[in-house]
Amino acid sequence: MAPMTDTHASFERYVLPELDVLYRTAWSLTRSDVEAQDLVQDTLLRAYRAIDRFDGRYPRAWLMTIMRNANINRARKKKPDLLDDPDATFERSLAFAETQGPEELVLEGEFDATVEAGYRELPEKFREVVELVDLNGLAYQEAADVLGVPVGTVMSRLHRARKRIRHHIEEVGLDLAGGGS
Amino acid sequence: MLHKLFRRGMSCEDVLEVLQSYLDGETDDATARQVLDHLHGCGHCDRESDVYLRIKVSLRKRATAVDPEIRSALSRFSERVARGEIR
Repeated sequence: MAPMTDTHASFERYVLPELDVLYRTAWSLTRSDVEAQDLVQDTLLRAYRAIDRFDGRYPRAWLMTIMRNANINRARKKKPDLLDDPDATFERSLAFAETQGPEELVLEGEFDATVEAGYRELPEKFREVVELVDLNGLAYQEAADVLGVPVGTVMSRLHRARKRIRHHIEEVGLDLAGGGS
Repeated sequence: MLHKLFRRGMSCEDVLEVLQSYLDGETDDATARQVLDHLHGCGHCDRESDVYLRIKVSLRKRATAVDPEIRSALSRFSERVARGEIR
């Protein structure tokens, strides 16, 4: 086996552990399995080319910036008819997620369904931030990096989004005080 | 309200201002300690915290696991990139 180069080692250390986060973030940006895979591959190639200049601090934030630039570049080239139907793709992803933990999903079912409905009613800009932070687990700064907006904008959209979800729960009359539904 | 500032360090208004950032782990340690101290002594803010925590946990359940086939394809691709086979 050939000895591992510094570039190879750095790539394995800083980039490979972020593969799942990269894919989920790419999916949030593209709403398409195929487009998300292409975007991750593009990001991986760009990261590999740039890794010798990376200082090793905040690898996820660094990758989010690379992904954002890759996505901007792709958006310029993209043809609209290549996009999947976003709702259909989202349904498929949710259906897959629901096979992961049916017992957990049964608990607090009514509350979760109401949160889900409130989430789906959010304006796209709000839903996008909720998806990046709450579903994908990005930090505020990482979400700001991938969206190319100030971190204050991420906070504002996220907090307002959750308030809207909370308002939706209150509107349907669910008890917010208790631990169960 | 002033007595609350002296007694608990942060007012309810202060806590509600940073509550979501606190739940996201985005506040500094000193602020997090003050929020926590306040929540221990204030039923109203503690309930607010519970509400947003429940929403956050519920949303988190919607996180999609990466499809194993896609994960596998991306791993193979990234390994080839790491070995310098694709540039």
